[in-house]
Amino acid sequence: MFLDLLSLILLVSAALWTVMTRSLLRSAIGLALTSAVLTVIMFKMEANLAAVFELSVCAGLIPVLFVSVVSLTQPYTHQEILERMKSMFARFRLLPVILIGVGLILVLLGPHSQVQLPLPESGENTRFILWHLRQLDLLGQVIILLGGVFGVAVLFKERKKSA
Amino acid sequence: MIAKALLLTIIIPLFSGVIMFFLPEKLRRIKESLLVFSSLASLLLAIFLFQQKLTFTLPWISPGLELSFRLYQFSSFMLLATAFFGFFIALYSVVFMRGRNFLSQFYGYFLLAIAFSNGVFLSDNLLVLFFFWEAFLLLLFGMIAVGNKEAFKTATKAFIIVGITDLCMMLGIALTGHLSGTMAISRMNLPLNNGVTNLAFILLMIGAISKGGAMPFHSWIPDAATDAPLPFMSFVPAALEKLLGIYFLTRISLDMFQMTTKSGVSILLMTVGAITIILAVLMALIQKDYKRLLSYHAVSQVGYMILGIGTAVPAGIVGGLFHMINNALYKSGLFLSAGSVEKQVGTTNLEKLGGLAKKMPVTFTCFLITAVAISGVWPFNGFFSKELVYEGAIERGWIFYFIAVLGSFFTAASFLKLGHAAFLGKLSPENAKTKEACFSMLIPMIVIALVCLIFGVFNQLPLNHLIQPILGIRLAGHNFSGFPASIWMVVVTFAVLFLAVANHLFGVKIKGSGLHALDHIRYAPFMAKIYDLAEKRFFDPYNWGLGIVNIISRISLGIDKAVNWLSDGLSVWLANGLSLGIRRLHTGNYSIYLAWSLVGMLVIFGVLVIL
Amino acid sequence: MSALLILVPFFSVLILNLPLKGIRKLAFGGAICLSLLQMAAVFIPDAAFWKINPHAFGSIFSFELSADSLSKVILFCIGLVSFSALFATRQTLKDSAGRFNFINIILIAVAGMNGVALAQDIFSLYIYLEITAISSFILIAFNRDILGLEGAFKYILLSGVATVLMLAGIALFMLIAGSTSFAVIHAVLLNHNKDFLISLGIGLFIVALFIKSGLMPFHGWLPDAYTAAPAAASVLLAGVVTKIAGVYVLIRILVSVISFSPAIKSILLLVGALSAILAAIAALTQSDFKRMLSYSSISQVGYIILGVGSGSVLGIAGAALHIFNHAAFKSLLFLNSAAVECQLGSRDIEEMGGLAKQMPVTSLTSIIGSLSCAGIPPLAGFWSKLVIVIALWMAGFRAYAVIAVLGSILTLTYFLILQRKVFFGKPNAEFKDIKEAGFSLTFPALILAALIIGAGIFTPFILNRFILSFNSIFGG
Repeated sequence: MFLDLLSLILLVSAALWTVMTRSLLRSAIGLALTSAVLTVIMFKMEANLAAVFELSVCAGLIPVLFVSVVSLTQPYTHQEILERMKSMFARFRLLPVILIGVGLILVLLGPHSQVQLPLPESGENTRFILWHLRQLDLLGQVIILLGGVFGVAVLFKERKKSA
Repeated sequence: MIAKALLLTIIIPLFSGVIMFFLPEKLRRIKESLLVFSSLASLLLAIFLFQQKLTFTLPWISPGLELSFRLYQFSSFMLLATAFFGFFIALYSVVFMRGRNFLSQFYGYFLLAIAFSNGVFLSDNLLVLFFFWEAFLLLLFGMIAVGNKEAFKTATKAFIIVGITDLCMMLGIALTGHLSGTMAISRMNLPLNNGVTNLAFILLMIGAISKGGAMPFHSWIPDAATDAPLPFMSFVPAALEKLLGIYFLTRISLDMFQMTTKSGVSILLMTVGAITIILAVLMALIQKDYKRLLSYHAVSQVGYMILGIGTAVPAGIVGGLFHMINNALYKSGLFLSAGSVEKQVGTTNLEKLGGLAKKMPVTFTCFLITAVAISGVWPFNGFFSKELVYEGAIERGWIFYFIAVLGSFFTAASFLKLGHAAFLGKLSPENAKTKEACFSMLIPMIVIALVCLIFGVFNQLPLNHLIQPILGIRLAGHNFSGFPASIWMVVVTFAVLFLAVANHLFGVKIKGSGLHALDHIRYAPFMAKIYDLAEKRFFDPYNWGLGIVNIISRISLGIDKAVNWLSDGLSVWLANGLSLGIRRLHTGNYSIYLAWSLVGMLVIFGVLVIL
Repeated sequence: MSALLILVPFFSVLILNLPLKGIRKLAFGGAICLSLLQMAAVFIPDAAFWKINPHAFGSIFSFELSADSLSKVILFCIGLVSFSALFATRQTLKDSAGRFNFINIILIAVAGMNGVALAQDIFSLYIYLEITAISSFILIAFNRDILGLEGAFKYILLSGVATVLMLAGIALFMLIAGSTSFAVIHAVLLNHNKDFLISLGIGLFIVALFIKSGLMPFHGWLPDAYTAAPAAASVLLAGVVTKIAGVYVLIRILVSVISFSPAIKSILLLVGALSAILAAIAALTQSDFKRMLSYSSISQVGYIILGVGSGSVLGIAGAALHIFNHAAFKSLLFLNSAAVECQLGSRDIEEMGGLAKQMPVTSLTSIIGSLSCAGIPPLAGFWSKLVIVIALWMAGFRAYAVIAVLGSILTLTYFLILQRKVFFGKPNAEFKDIKEAGFSLTFPALILAALIIGAGIFTPFILNRFILSFNSIFGG
């Protein structure tokens, strides 16, 4: 119980840190931390496969970093960024409402699936899942991390030099 | 062994013709002797093969297309005639062509012409026949083109006219082969009972009468008469083409199709024949050039043959065929006399000729014999064949007979004018030193004139042995040799000839000269305008054709420009516009790109859910 | 054993980055050797090498990988194009440290692409797609100029959308089948086709792959990314990356997981025809050498999708053949553009002209590449286009067959425009002293040109065997 609470607090604070920090590097680390904590929680809830996927997706989310990097290449002032956000908010504020509305209409009026869903999997050994079922994914994730390292090496480090 | 001799009739002139092309211009003697001896060899071979019946078949590409030759009564007669004219005109041209250019070409074409017409006469397969027929067309072009400066244009004209009609013939051959299921001529016998067979007949007929030079496919012949070398005129349009055209016409109307007096094509043939007779002879009347005048008669006489064969009655057919050989004889004889005059005097313009009878007595005698023969004077050959044609014509309708007799009147009139203008009257001082032509030019003329006389006086000889056997059972036991059966028709003929002489004397009395003896017809109130137009070639179908082609080419040019505009202008403009439009859509704004993707996604979901 | 194709590039990257003296100099040679070995490995006939073979290495490295004819074609293309791209780095990247990083990223991309080609699991497929995508982002933005970053950004953005859609699709499939293995999902989908959830999953997947392949109207990122990328990266991207990430995965999913339905066929044909024609028209008026080639790429991918859309073995064989041919001629043409850009410092074809005399090898090879792309016999491109058109005709999609032929004419048109403006026509006085590009750009170009001619001449002989081997795709 205590462990659950601790991990929940850790998750929330890590997520907040990720969003609030101004440093990109810290933001990236925060994201990884958030994802790691979420994985732990999933293990605790015995959703082993989901946990493994979360770890994978987290690795896949590293490209988000590059999105930020690239978007920051345009030299906007703090004020400009605020104004842009305001205008975007003004433009897109109806979007969530529309999306939710369409989703509701689809759920209520749209076609319904007749597929017999399979039962949730029985709790298999995490080690087994990692090493025997998702071994290839694990290797892939390692390669993604390696790629991310190169990305940082190429795009961040030298950027400082040139700047 | 003897069957292979058939091939020799083609191979001998073919090879010597080809060799001729490769002989250098300097070896004139060798070329001349090659020409004379190979044509002599052809003549001997034709005599040897005469009246024999042989077939020779060489299986070729496919069963439908085999190299099959058949020698029988008709073709052996045609072979002999070809070889006869070939030899004597070769003898003549050796002298005539001296000092002219393109000897190799002319002699080569001459020999090849013998080879290819032999091929036509012997072929028993329509496709093989057509091969030789087309090869002959090429020769026609080549032989005219070696004439004077204008000759190339005339050669093109001849090539186009005969080429187009040969195209019709090709269609006809395809259609005939399809209808009868075979290409072998001797196995064809189609009844003319429906539109398709009639069409096939007419297509083949167009090829045949165009080769014969009938109207409206005649217009290159008068031009060729002035532009092409004279032996060509004497050999090809006067003799060979008549033989080829009438041979093929006879084959299609007697053998390949069952033409009877009830057939529509019979009326068509007679009409073509009658029109050709009268219009061509009217044109001949007004000519002021020896050769050009003769060439219109070459056209006009073909009308008699077509009329005779078109009657589809034994008398007419026999008359037509007899007229074919007679015409070949006297017409080539007349052209040869024209050649002598040209060679000795240097011109054939009638204005500059006159009084040559004393200077060139042999030529004049030969001219006289052949001229009275063509006018149909008893006892020369032309009289007997014309009488037979009249006999056939009157069986089918008095109008054809009337036109044929009228044609005879004008023929006689124009030859009276020609003879008067060229050989009688006053000798112009420039021609005072004119001498008789040399011996080897006279020999052919004399022989031909003699044959004209023999075929007239002893008309049983050609009719019983050469012509009547061709008809076989269609002759129905008739025998047309001897003096004509109908006395009153003979009386009419004599009356017409007498009228022609009277007319001539009347004309001479008015105008005072032989050349202008027919001017009262030329300048008659109604005729004058028509003649003016005709001299401007208003009635030349070739010129109409050229006009139509011109219009078509203008239209095509317009279409071409429009298509060009569509392809080079409009489509490029459209593609560029579209391309630039697409380019403008790519603003680089990623939210637009995302929006496209969203739209695409919605469409795809729509398709997936609906289908 | 086929796992080596992933493991060897991966470990090579690790070893190259060990802090050993002089090891960095081995990077180029080593990578070239790897690409050559990969091409050679495709011809290993041993079935055991390619089949699923768990526990072969003991307990570690027992992957569920498998390769059929289609995978082998793709693996060969990867080797070929990475070979060309590696050569291109030598002249286009002057900085040796940068070049070393570039080679490392290429190796990572190769590992990722090999994984895509071999994966038999929908989730593994996704992971390796991401590897490929990330390395591509880095390659595009490598020079850190504003255009490169913009191109990479657009790619990331649309690729991110594709990723989300694909993940959603994977989630739906997993929800339905309870597994992510191709075979299991395939079996489940066969039992309930026409269900709403399944249609949704298929739709999500297809749209994701359309975005990744850059088909119209999902292509917005592609011209910018290709044009802005460094020359060597363009070669790799255009030659093979988008073909793997989009087209190959699409074929693989269609054949091994979803199977064809009339709706899917009509979508594929529609999108393929749209891309083939509109992109070709758009290429007509481009003035940037690489941008024109980018639109040509979209158009050619449209062709491939048309072949796939016929839904027959012949069509898929034609598509695979065209993937190979496209890899050859488009890499070649991008190499040519790199050579021109390197020597002239410009990509604007309006400024060029008469370069045929100064750059004979580049000119000649680009003519061969263009003609192959336009489908002129006897070059290789003709045969694959022919097979696609025949497959469309035989499958009854006659209108699309005609469109495919028309697209070929447009292709020829814009390549003739390109040739006329760049290599023929009036020379620009400004570029009077231009010389032929260096060996490292002309050598791979010559090899590719020879390959195009050779493949074209021998296609009739191998075509039958090649297509026969494709029957097994459906069986497996």
